[in-house]
Amino acid sequence: MQTLRDIVPAAQNNINSKFVLLEKGRATLEGQHKTCLALVADETAAVHFQMWGEECDAFEAGDILSLSNGIFSYNRNNNLVLRAGKRGKVHKVGEFTMAFVETPNMSEIRWVPLPSHNTNTNAATYVQDAVLSPHSRIFPPMN
Amino acid sequence: MASKLIQIRSFDAENSLEVSLREAFQHLEPRLRPPFPLTIPTQEEYINLNKAILYGILCEPHLAKIHIKHLHAIITDGYCYFTSLVIEVVNELYGKLFDSVKAQLIWVTHEMVNVLAMGFDGLLVALLRQIIGGDFSDGNLWLCFEMVSIFSSKRDFFVEEDEPRVLTSALYVFLRLLADHCRMRNDAKIEALKRMEIDFCVRMLREKFGLCFQVGRDLVRLLQDLVHVPEFRAIWKDLLLNPSAFQTSCFIDISQLYLSRTSSRYFLLRITPEMENQLRFLLTRVKLGSQMRYQVWFGKKFLGVPERETLKIDIVRFICCAHHPSNDVIQSDIIPRWAVIGWLLKSCQRKVVEANVKLALFYDWLFFNEKVDNIMNIEPAMLLMVHSIPKYVDVTHTLLEFLLILVENYDIERKDLIVKGVSSAFVLLVRKGVVQSLDALICFDMLSPLHKQLFERMFTDMLPSLSKRNIVSLPSK
Repeated sequence: MQTLRDIVPAAQNNINSKFVLLEKGRATLEGQHKTCLALVADETAAVHFQMWGEECDAFEAGDILSLSNGIFSYNRNNNLVLRAGKRGKVHKVGEFTMAFVETPNMSEIRWVPLPSHNTNTNAATYVQDAVLSPHSRIFPPMN
Repeated sequence: MASKLIQIRSFDAENSLEVSLREAFQHLEPRLRPPFPLTIPTQEEYINLNKAILYGILCEPHLAKIHIKHLHAIITDGYCYFTSLVIEVVNELYGKLFDSVKAQLIWVTHEMVNVLAMGFDGLLVALLRQIIGGDFSDGNLWLCFEMVSIFSSKRDFFVEEDEPRVLTSALYVFLRLLADHCRMRNDAKIEALKRMEIDFCVRMLREKFGLCFQVGRDLVRLLQDLVHVPEFRAIWKDLLLNPSAFQTSCFIDISQLYLSRTSSRYFLLRITPEMENQLRFLLTRVKLGSQMRYQVWFGKKFLGVPERETLKIDIVRFICCAHHPSNDVIQSDIIPRWAVIGWLLKSCQRKVVEANVKLALFYDWLFFNEKVDNIMNIEPAMLLMVHSIPKYVDVTHTLLEFLLILVENYDIERKDLIVKGVSSAFVLLVRKGVVQSLDALICFDMLSPLHKQLFERMFTDMLPSLSKRNIVSLPSK
């Protein structure tokens, strides 16, 4: 299990973590599939989570979710999101009883590829460059 | 094999209790059909056999009689492990169980009562806790009906078997539920249920008052909400005017009930385990300032429909009397109890619920006696009043006014006792340093001159020690 603060963008299904769903955005259609952006968080950080298909209706704010083999990368709209992807799975494991923070938000960080690293593979390694916003600009904190 | 026990939605993770029961059943299924082997199982086999038989009873209604015979034949621990398993199922899974499984659960509960299984009282209490206040759904009313049926038919049995606690628990639950059910007039669906609940409670109060007395002062609080029901109006009159009608020699005046503190276990009876978990999490893990989302989730899940609002009364009693945080939590930045109560109070839609929430908050103040009462029960009201002064002075104002009106009117015949109770509460809260003095409360300008006068007149004896002297001796902040 990884904490959200430790996730780094990569083109791999390598994220296993547990978090609570704080807020769901409106579902939209992407081709024939429903998709829905949400804010999720654990004790260390928050991140935007993209739900796909039936996931959009299966989960509600307050649900505690467990993600296995998820991916943290840029979606078609060039937003940095966490999602289960085709190879990952997300399950509801509980409700309510999880502490969370809304800062930092890993999707609101600008990442840059580490230069000249990993030249023998195509995958770039990303490092944090700048904080774009301390918290989600799509789902601002509720106070 | 899909679960026959609980409804699992496509994205739900497996539930470990369900898995352990189902696997035991799958593994032992061939051994669950007669003829049963005569060999004595090892401890491990015994545990798995208990699990398998429970799964069989709950999920194979047509074979339940065979399973229960099997259970009776193998039991060597007075059903202790078996009932503990059933209780786990109730506490963890009740809301997700299939309806047919719920029916089997009630059936096996009857069986456990009939054989006086060890822990059957805990099982009954666990089921009582699953009845949700302010919930008029068919499933909830069905559970009320099944439970009041058990208690009505087994009442004398429980008395003989010396199980008074389970009876007083049922009394507390049904009196509270009646407050909801009696508000629904001319509703055929609940008329029969209401009749059974009234009969059970009235018989308890009329015939076993000595037992009912053990509930303590909250018995009076609950009866008060039923005073418009003829049967309870008569009881209420006798309580006030004719205590000998209850034929309990040591009961001579209602003040004896006032002065007897209600045990915290009664408040847990009106909070489901799930609600309890969430409230305790909120009050031990969530920092002040970060509670908004949790409050929204809790509100949506448990208080979503207007009828559920009466639950707030039970929650306030639970927070005041059954959730006492440790010193570590009190000194930390975790959201304090008074803030959660403030949220519940501010969100009340109906005036009558708001008044009952305030009564729940102040109830232990009215009869406070340092020797039997706990300062933690009265602390939230005081802190809510004091901490609301800077931003929500209207809350402070209405609370203090409400308290004064209670002292004046709650029981005119026994006003001295109530003045003494409230004074003792104030004195102890200052003496123990919960607040430094009462100056902030009684000096603030929002209190109408009338109420200020009332306050001073009512508490002349205690005021000097709590106000003026402290101004001299304590440095102002």
